[in-house]
Amino acid sequence: MVDFSDTRPNPDDILEDLFIKEQNKKGRLEIFFGYAAGVGKTYAMIDDAQEQLRCGVDVLVGYVEEHTRPETIQIMNGLPILAPKMVEYRKLQLKEFDLDAALERKPELILVDELAHTNAPGMRNKKRYQDIEELLNAGIDVFTTVNVQHLESLNDVVQKITHVGVKETIPDYVFNQADKIRLIDIEPDELLRRFESGKIYRPERTQKALDNFFTRENLRLLREIAMRKVANRISSDNQNEPRLSKKMANIRLMVCISASPSSARCIRWTDRTAEAFQAPWTAVYVEDMDSDAMTDGEKNRVRDHLALAERLGAEIVTLNGHDIATVIAEYAKLSGITNIVIGKSRNKKSLISYFKASLEEKLIAMLPSIEIHIIPGNPGIKKNALYQRRRLRISRNLFLSWQDSVKTLLIIVAATLISLMLQALNISDQNIIMVYILSVLIISRVTVGYLYGVLASCLTVLVFNYFFTVPYYTLHAIQEGYPITFVIMLLVALITSTLTVRIKTQARLAVEREHRTEVLYEINKKLLASRDFEETIGLINAYMVKIFGRSAIFYSQDPEDHDSDTFLQSELEDDAAFLKSESERAVAHWVFMNKKCAGAGTDTLMGAGAFYMPIIARSKVLGVIGLSCANGVLNQNNRLFLRMIASQVEMALERHYLSNEQRRILVESEKEKMRSNLLRGISHDLRTPLTGILGASSAILESGSIMDQETQETLINNIKEDSQWLIRMVENLLSVTRINEGPMNVTKTPEAAEEIVAEAISRIRKRFASRKITVKVPEVLLIVPMDGTLIEQVIINLLENAIKYSPEDSVIAVEVKKTGNEAVFEVSDQGNGITEQDFPYLFETYVPDGKRNADSSRGMGIGLSICRSIIKAHQGKIDAENKAQGGAVFRFTLPLQEM
Amino acid sequence: MENKSVILIVEDEAGISNFIAAILKANDYKMIKAVTGKEAISMTASYSPDLILLDLGLPDIDGMEVLKTIREWSTIPVVVVSARGHEREKVEALDLGADDYITKPFGTAELLARIRTGIRHSPKNRSENALESTSLRIGELAIDYDKRLVTVGEKSVHLTPIEYKIIVLLSKNIGKVLTHDYIIKEVWGPYTNEIQALRVNMANIRRKIEENPAEPQYIVTQVGVGYRMVEELDV
Repeated sequence: MVDFSDTRPNPDDILEDLFIKEQNKKGRLEIFFGYAAGVGKTYAMIDDAQEQLRCGVDVLVGYVEEHTRPETIQIMNGLPILAPKMVEYRKLQLKEFDLDAALERKPELILVDELAHTNAPGMRNKKRYQDIEELLNAGIDVFTTVNVQHLESLNDVVQKITHVGVKETIPDYVFNQADKIRLIDIEPDELLRRFESGKIYRPERTQKALDNFFTRENLRLLREIAMRKVANRISSDNQNEPRLSKKMANIRLMVCISASPSSARCIRWTDRTAEAFQAPWTAVYVEDMDSDAMTDGEKNRVRDHLALAERLGAEIVTLNGHDIATVIAEYAKLSGITNIVIGKSRNKKSLISYFKASLEEKLIAMLPSIEIHIIPGNPGIKKNALYQRRRLRISRNLFLSWQDSVKTLLIIVAATLISLMLQALNISDQNIIMVYILSVLIISRVTVGYLYGVLASCLTVLVFNYFFTVPYYTLHAIQEGYPITFVIMLLVALITSTLTVRIKTQARLAVEREHRTEVLYEINKKLLASRDFEETIGLINAYMVKIFGRSAIFYSQDPEDHDSDTFLQSELEDDAAFLKSESERAVAHWVFMNKKCAGAGTDTLMGAGAFYMPIIARSKVLGVIGLSCANGVLNQNNRLFLRMIASQVEMALERHYLSNEQRRILVESEKEKMRSNLLRGISHDLRTPLTGILGASSAILESGSIMDQETQETLINNIKEDSQWLIRMVENLLSVTRINEGPMNVTKTPEAAEEIVAEAISRIRKRFASRKITVKVPEVLLIVPMDGTLIEQVIINLLENAIKYSPEDSVIAVEVKKTGNEAVFEVSDQGNGITEQDFPYLFETYVPDGKRNADSSRGMGIGLSICRSIIKAHQGKIDAENKAQGGAVFRFTLPLQEM
Repeated sequence: MENKSVILIVEDEAGISNFIAAILKANDYKMIKAVTGKEAISMTASYSPDLILLDLGLPDIDGMEVLKTIREWSTIPVVVVSARGHEREKVEALDLGADDYITKPFGTAELLARIRTGIRHSPKNRSENALESTSLRIGELAIDYDKRLVTVGEKSVHLTPIEYKIIVLLSKNIGKVLTHDYIIKEVWGPYTNEIQALRVNMANIRRKIEENPAEPQYIVTQVGVGYRMVEELDV
């Protein structure tokens, strides 16, 4: 026997998958892939489109590049073409693909040339591939073209071959996730011939292109790379299918990111390697003390690198620590990294570097079992930057403040006084030196930055020299050993002050990290404890404002169809009501549709005033968080933190969704059960009087002539009674339909309790004119929020019940009173009371067989259960008891205030 | 029997219109039947009945439309027949100019009482006894409009101006249901929402004129619709 249980997918899962796919059906992406311009991608694409058009597909040419060759334009005949959008940029008229028009037109298939194109500023998306993703999300099939050098991961390889940098790149996932890749290939010689005949570029550009890029050697290499890329894709497709693309767990790569430009290369290398091994990879950035001192350019570079790694599919981690090697080693050990990639440039060959172990040496020493890959970086990194950085770092620690100056002076004066005392006691010089060193230590501890430590050490040397060296009260040092003493004092002071500064910085970092963890933990705890959806959203907003100091908005549903935003203004910002404006809602809507971050600081809709992030669980957007960027865009750190919080939020929201779903199903099935019980209960009850009516009426019709007057009248009376009973039953059933789903679904209006009671009693009086009913209402008018008709029905049912179960001549009492915050209605009779066996089923619709009182076959069993449903829907209580002096009391309460 | 009242029954259910016809015949009314709304409108125009019994659920046009059309040119009393639980429908019909309503299912006595009241208070009859009565008496309750005096039995009742206004309004429309909105508009003026005040005043009036406010004899509540002053006491 072969056991298929592990390998065979669960049919439910497949169905669910299909369902999800059907729901958000994506368009198919077909890429026409070439190794250089001029191989005929656009031609092939249009040719294919013509074929599709002939097959009856609704084709639209979205955009085809300007420099298109005449042959290509010729074969475009007959294809509908979308007019390009004209954008003015720096006084240049640029033609751009009109995404919105395309989305509105919604063809089945659209042709958009040049996947790697960068849109003109002011367009919604920064890159064309983002436009195409939107088209795909809208369910439109897309044909597009791209050349091999535009692939992000191959970017540097191509650059090395051709020595031409390509700035327009597409992330590899776009290529990898395309449904179909068509490799358009011709011989390099043929391509060169095309070139020379000027078919590709205009003559003046042709020469330049031939010299730089289009050499036979280059083309051959590019062709090889392109073919290999496609071949790789095919083989990985084949491997992937049976295993559902589970990444290999035994290899984990990690790349260390810095501000150095060579980091990008390391990232690409790691990505390619990870792809080859089918391994997951992580990009790590270590924040150390220098991070604070980085120039803006460097900070941007780090952010770009992190963004690049993210685009290529890496997991992003930011760590804190003073010693980069230790931090990396710790992290690698903890997360099971098997390979570490670092960049290395050989440019700082200074004396210090001989004594200082390099990063890779330290890593090798600390992680003997992990492989370390070193990627050589571009030589010639500007030394200036390093100096600049060092200068910045020092100047950061040079603060001048009155407080610190006073502190320093006071401490030195105190030290001098103590030393003078010691000298007066004839205690030797060494101890005095100790006192001064101690004072320097204290100064560097209590002041900010290096400056005061250094100043203090110089000052103490001078003071010591002045007061305690022979000759006293001069700055001359005569005794032989004194210069050495001075030097040692200075060194000690300097070292201690730098050390304390470092410790302080680390303490600050640790506190920051601690704070972050604490906040995350707190959020997690609070989110877990939150009971309902609104509370959760309120919490999220409160934390967003607290942590980031920005106004926050949360959409729990697509703002285009629903009004579901919750907004919270931050005190640190000016009025951020713009978050609720129409244009911002449009951005949130985009995020909902495209499941991606957008807004200020991103590539999409960057003109927005806020940053928007979707909360996604199981390919469904559960909500969108918007953070105002009125005071500047979010930095990488903030975004990372936001993402961490988002994952918590995601879990919390999903939990709510699931529990809501479950509750809904439960309520649904409960309701279904109630309905079927009710139906079962009444169908029997209805049949009895109907049979009576039918029998009696046909008896009169068929043999009325031979019946005596009295019998006829009895029969007619029976018909009347049965019909009246039926009417009451139907009215009760109608009441049930007035209560809709859920507990909150009666429409309450304030009604005077006495009016409702009066109406109910007058109706009962009409039917049972002979019964004695007494009524008592409070002296003060009692207004109760309720559905008057329903409560009247309840009182009628209770009265009928009382009339039925008590002797003809006894009195039935109705009383209304107010106790605390409730109105109490009581109906009591003087009958036999409720039997012990009836109690449990008094308000039940369905009574188990045999337990039903024989008398109630036509009774108000349903009536009481309807009473309970009505009172429950009013958030009231209903119960019954036997009075001590005999008879039963039915009592229900209604809340006086809306809850 | 020289002056039989003519009643127009607008009802699409043959069963119901049959039994209403039987009752009316037995009580000396002349009746004509209409099945659709259009028929009802044309018959009202040509026969000019003394009262119309209008069912709101009609096969061709909405009963409300029929009511609206008839009210454009006629003040013939209209009694609307409606199902229980449709309070809003009743209020709407009353606000559109219906004189009264009767809730399905109804008994013979109730139907006849409504028809009597309707005909008695029709503008036609009212103009006949043009001299507006200066006083009113129902059971123990007496209202003297000239003296602005309300008495129950021998005792005079002290009412506030608003309470007096309400009781006079109800008594002038005796037997007719007045909707909450109508009373509020008449007593407090338009653009106010004094439903709560109306309820409080009504409770006070009852405490002054009724024996047991929970079992009112003179002014009865129509839950969800309004109030009605009864013409004759229930025995």
